[in-house]
Amino acid sequence: MGVLFTMDTTKLIKDAKARFSHNSAKAYLQEKYKSKLVIAEQGGLWNADAQTIGFLNSFSDETLVVIDTFDNPVKVDRSKLLESLTKTYNNVMTEWNSEWKELERKR
Amino acid sequence: MERTRKKTVKTRGVILFAFNSSKYNYADMAVYTARRIATFLELPTTLITDVDTYKTILDVKNVFDSVIEVEPDLTNIKDQTSWINKGRYQAYELSPYDETLVIDVDYLVNSNTLLKTFDLSDTFCCHSNTHMLMHPEAAQEKMGYTYETLWATVIMFKKSNRAKQIFETLEMVQNNYEHYAGIHSFIGGVYRNDYGLTIALKIVNGHTDVPSDYIPWNLVHVGKNTSVYANQSDAQVPVDGEIWDFNTEFTIMFDHWKKSKVRKEYMLIKDMDFHVMNKDLFVGIMNNG
Repeated sequence: MGVLFTMDTTKLIKDAKARFSHNSAKAYLQEKYKSKLVIAEQGGLWNADAQTIGFLNSFSDETLVVIDTFDNPVKVDRSKLLESLTKTYNNVMTEWNSEWKELERKR
Repeated sequence: MERTRKKTVKTRGVILFAFNSSKYNYADMAVYTARRIATFLELPTTLITDVDTYKTILDVKNVFDSVIEVEPDLTNIKDQTSWINKGRYQAYELSPYDETLVIDVDYLVNSNTLLKTFDLSDTFCCHSNTHMLMHPEAAQEKMGYTYETLWATVIMFKKSNRAKQIFETLEMVQNNYEHYAGIHSFIGGVYRNDYGLTIALKIVNGHTDVPSDYIPWNLVHVGKNTSVYANQSDAQVPVDGEIWDFNTEFTIMFDHWKKSKVRKEYMLIKDMDFHVMNKDLFVGIMNNG
């Protein structure tokens, strides 16, 4: 395996006496995981967020018309969409939580 | 008799534009970016370039699915040298793919996030909002006094009448850039694809917003007073092979100026794409620095 010279970033941070920016890191995490929460399904684009999941959960109908992130009314198979969004939400939030905990350790 | 219909398999790929200038070797950046695209997006890349630029990368031409040579437009002058960024409108005609991503060569592909753009629209989408690393409260850039800037850094389009119309309008805007600079009150002279795209898309949409034209997450920039360094080197497997084990973790450093004093701040990022505005920093990453 060929490995080229690389900058020692740990030394760089130490030499520059740089301070870890929690606020920027937190904003970066939000930015990164926001894109992962977006999914396209059943002809619409959805955010796997608490609001959408809660909304889908509050109905018992098989099909439902829901406004997607592009403001289009899309007729969906409610339970199928709920399942996909819940799965995406769990996976993404678990990853986000783990990276956030790593960040908190730097405090 | 029952008729059977052949299912059409859509082709997908990426287009990179690269024309070397006296200051930067864009071809080398394109080679690096194409390798990252192959690794993270698993898509083929077509390079659009000129004869002289192509000559400089003949030994690594296999990185590209295809190379299309065009006549460079040298009329855009920036810092007393030709900045060959005109002609982006040709992406539609030149793309060999049904579904295409057009990416700037200084956009660091560091995840498979861009694959999602193919699910967003049947015709076209680009970024409308940005996030400045280390400067998250930064305002969105405005084009003169009228619109917030759209970004040509990443564009996804599918062969369709609408996408064709957008790129034809982009050509028209490029050819009449000074006229539009006057209308929108921005400084003309040096052509910017971001401004060209903003105007073209607004014209096609009748000066309204079509939400599905916008990628629903922000374009992440490494901007002013900010540096980026690779935490580890990229590795080639074997030494002269075509398999790359790319570094995915980066240190971002920021010069925080307060009362004429600078305080250095930093953070670490991983598995996220970003656009490096300072080309020297991108070259540094390419060279494992």
